[in-house]
Amino acid sequence: MKSLPFRWQLILFILLTCGVTLSLAFAGFYLYDVRQFNSEVQSRLEKTQSLMIENLVPLLEQNPKATDLQLKSLGVDAQIAAAAVYSSEGKILSRYVRAGVTEVIPPLPRITRFLDISDRGVLWTPISSGARSFGTLYLKAELSDADRGRLVNLLRGSAIVFFVSALLAAAMAWRFQGRITAPITELARVSTSVQRTRDYNARVQTTASGEIGELIDSFNAMLDTIQSNTSELERARVAAEDAHEKITQAHDQLEEANRTLEARVDDRTRLLAKAVKDAEEASKAKSSFLAKMSHELRTPLNAIIGYSEIMREDAADDGETARAEDLDKVLNAARHLLGLINDVLDISKIEAGKMELYLETFDLPKLITEVIATAAPLVSKKGNTLAIDCPADIGSMHADATKLRQMLLNLLSNASKFSEKGTVTLKAVRLIEEEADYMELSVVDTGIGMTPEQLTRLFQAFSQADASTTSKYGGTGLGLAISKQFAQMMQGDITVTSTPGVGSTFTIRMPAKVLSTQPKVVNQASHKLTRSPFSSQNRPKILVIDDDKDIRSVIAEVLSMSGYDVVEAASGQQGLDHVSRFTPNLILLDVLMPGIDGWTVLTKFQDNPKLADVPIIVLCAAGEVEMAIALGAANVLLKPVDASRLTAEIATQLSPLPKCYVLHVEDDADSRNLITRHLEREGWHSRSAINGKTALRMLRQRMPSMIVLDLKMPGMSGMEFLEELTQNPTWAKIPVVVVTSMDITQEMRNILTSRTLDILRKGQFTREQLTAIMRPAVEACALAQA
Amino acid sequence: MPKLLLVEDNEMNRDMLSRRLEKRGYTLVLAIDGGQGVAMAKSELPDLILMDMSLPVMDGWEATQLVKADPATKGIPVIALTAHAMESDRQKALDAGCDDFDTKPVELARLLIKIEELLKKFPPKA
Repeated sequence: MKSLPFRWQLILFILLTCGVTLSLAFAGFYLYDVRQFNSEVQSRLEKTQSLMIENLVPLLEQNPKATDLQLKSLGVDAQIAAAAVYSSEGKILSRYVRAGVTEVIPPLPRITRFLDISDRGVLWTPISSGARSFGTLYLKAELSDADRGRLVNLLRGSAIVFFVSALLAAAMAWRFQGRITAPITELARVSTSVQRTRDYNARVQTTASGEIGELIDSFNAMLDTIQSNTSELERARVAAEDAHEKITQAHDQLEEANRTLEARVDDRTRLLAKAVKDAEEASKAKSSFLAKMSHELRTPLNAIIGYSEIMREDAADDGETARAEDLDKVLNAARHLLGLINDVLDISKIEAGKMELYLETFDLPKLITEVIATAAPLVSKKGNTLAIDCPADIGSMHADATKLRQMLLNLLSNASKFSEKGTVTLKAVRLIEEEADYMELSVVDTGIGMTPEQLTRLFQAFSQADASTTSKYGGTGLGLAISKQFAQMMQGDITVTSTPGVGSTFTIRMPAKVLSTQPKVVNQASHKLTRSPFSSQNRPKILVIDDDKDIRSVIAEVLSMSGYDVVEAASGQQGLDHVSRFTPNLILLDVLMPGIDGWTVLTKFQDNPKLADVPIIVLCAAGEVEMAIALGAANVLLKPVDASRLTAEIATQLSPLPKCYVLHVEDDADSRNLITRHLEREGWHSRSAINGKTALRMLRQRMPSMIVLDLKMPGMSGMEFLEELTQNPTWAKIPVVVVTSMDITQEMRNILTSRTLDILRKGQFTREQLTAIMRPAVEACALAQA
Repeated sequence: MPKLLLVEDNEMNRDMLSRRLEKRGYTLVLAIDGGQGVAMAKSELPDLILMDMSLPVMDGWEATQLVKADPATKGIPVIALTAHAMESDRQKALDAGCDDFDTKPVELARLLIKIEELLKKFPPKA
């Protein structure tokens, strides 16, 4: 049933319903007819019975034993199949059997004699008149032929009506089922097709009304919704596919770009590593060449000096005064030349990091006496007086006596060179503080003095206060640079104060007991540290890359105390790995490491666009500062690490830039300090950048009111920096003043005059000049901000 | 007059220093390398040895060690002459047994003071 199509199900259902109804009607009618017929037969039998009784009673009154009763004539009709009359004793008096019928007349049943009960079509009737009983009448009726025919006709007619009705019902069912099944079949067909083909454009076409119409309308509406949803879904899918394709393309492009970038970074790193190696080798070659040359130069010079001395002694002995004086001049020139050669050798040793310390304990007053003995002729040469101010109980020192002697001689020789008919004082003081025991040795002169500008270049190798000095006073200008390096090697320093026309004071400050091994980190007392410029909830992350575990852990502790989160890396590779996972706010990098060296790491960091705005502070030796500046370090700190300076520098690097600050781009520390002091005195905010790269990073953070620019810088030069400014429309408008010691060609001057406010030569301008040039720009900025 | 042994490979240095010292009244014996220096220290038994440190064949440190190891010569004071400002060389010289040192080029006045001081400390036997 279930597998049949709906229309057949419906037809079958209709037919079944009709069949049951008709069958019930047929059965009802038929049974009713049969019942009518039976009761008719019964009544007819009863009529026959009473007629026969009426006829029999007079006969039996006459003769109760009469046996010749003609039942035939006594009213037997066509329906009686058998009849009998029994006497009161039960004896059959008369009998009748219809012709053609086989019937057995039964004996009189005892019970029914008194009871008017009989089988169907059989009647037992007592024959009586008043109180007198004559016997019993037995009648058995049977359907006559006519009755039989009537019953057959009845059955046939009913059957015909039944079948005709059934046919009619089937025909009508067939005819009308379509009206119901067609829409449903169509619905089923369409939904099957939709299910199979997923074509949601299909609709069920129908004229059906009522619930089926509503059902189909709902179905169509549902298809509408599905169709619109599906088309939306399709559009979304197409859009998603498009987007996916674009993402894939972008990803491919990015990967390609990455590969290119990596290749370029690798290339640059290789080139740089080679350049660094070349530079190191060249530097080593230079140092060894200088050492060798100095030795080679010294040997003949020794001979010149030695033989000149012999000849001078001989001449003096022989009383040849004029010849002895000439030979003195030769000797002086040769000794001066020897001094110069020794200076060059010293500075090349210092730069190569090969200068050694020979620490010994000595009596300071004794050393001073020796130095004075040597220096006295020099001092008195220009009519200067030498004064000594040294407490006799100043005690002994543990240091490199030869170097201290050389330093003192250098300072005394300088003082007497630049003073005339004045006083040169050598002053010694011992300063015992809570945790330090220092010796301060000062050389005070009453000479020509120096301007602050001249002071800035004083300790640089190969430079004197200005170029004209060399021709006037002689010397390589190496002496002070060497002395300063010696002092620093012995955990001290040389400082200078000077007033033009009044005189200068050079002070050597050194520990009374110089330690042979320097501590790796100094000044880590907490009160000397600068705290992070941010709140304690917002601790900047600092990546510390150093192979030395001790330095790393001390720095980590110091920085953590100062309000920073520290991530440590024990090698260059680890540093690179960290940076690929997170971006620190600042990087502290030691360049002296095994494996990937610090320079390579620094270059890789510089090439990483993610770190474009992350300052990198480099820890290195004195001879490597220039390299660090050239490679774009944000600042350079020398080893041993000074925790106080380190935290101050980190705080400066991470602090937000002030409004209208003056950006000072200058690689030389002394020049930077000088200009910074000038600007501070004017009450102007300023920030220094040690190279063009750092300056550009600061420009990206905040626009300055103006820029003070040095031209000669390692890495990006001042001219290149100006070019970068010009490329950017906003930066191109920032006023620039150039402060340089460089000789400027006409071509450069043409470029500079069109772009800058002024060009000042280092050491040849006053603070007032500088600030007068800058004032309009700085004030304009302050006004604009207000 | 005190007898000095000068061990120096450079001919001009040897000539100059010996002449200037002779002029101040010292008797000079000369050797041009470490081996010869050790041999002459033994044969000549000088009152003092001026030993250049960078010598061919046998350097000054080794020669000094040999001189100081021999009972016959170990009492002779040795002044090391080292190249300019090589502190490690200086320490090495003292470790080898030198009694004093001076740097080359020689500053005669200073060297004479050192020679006199050592001769006072180790007076000549004769």
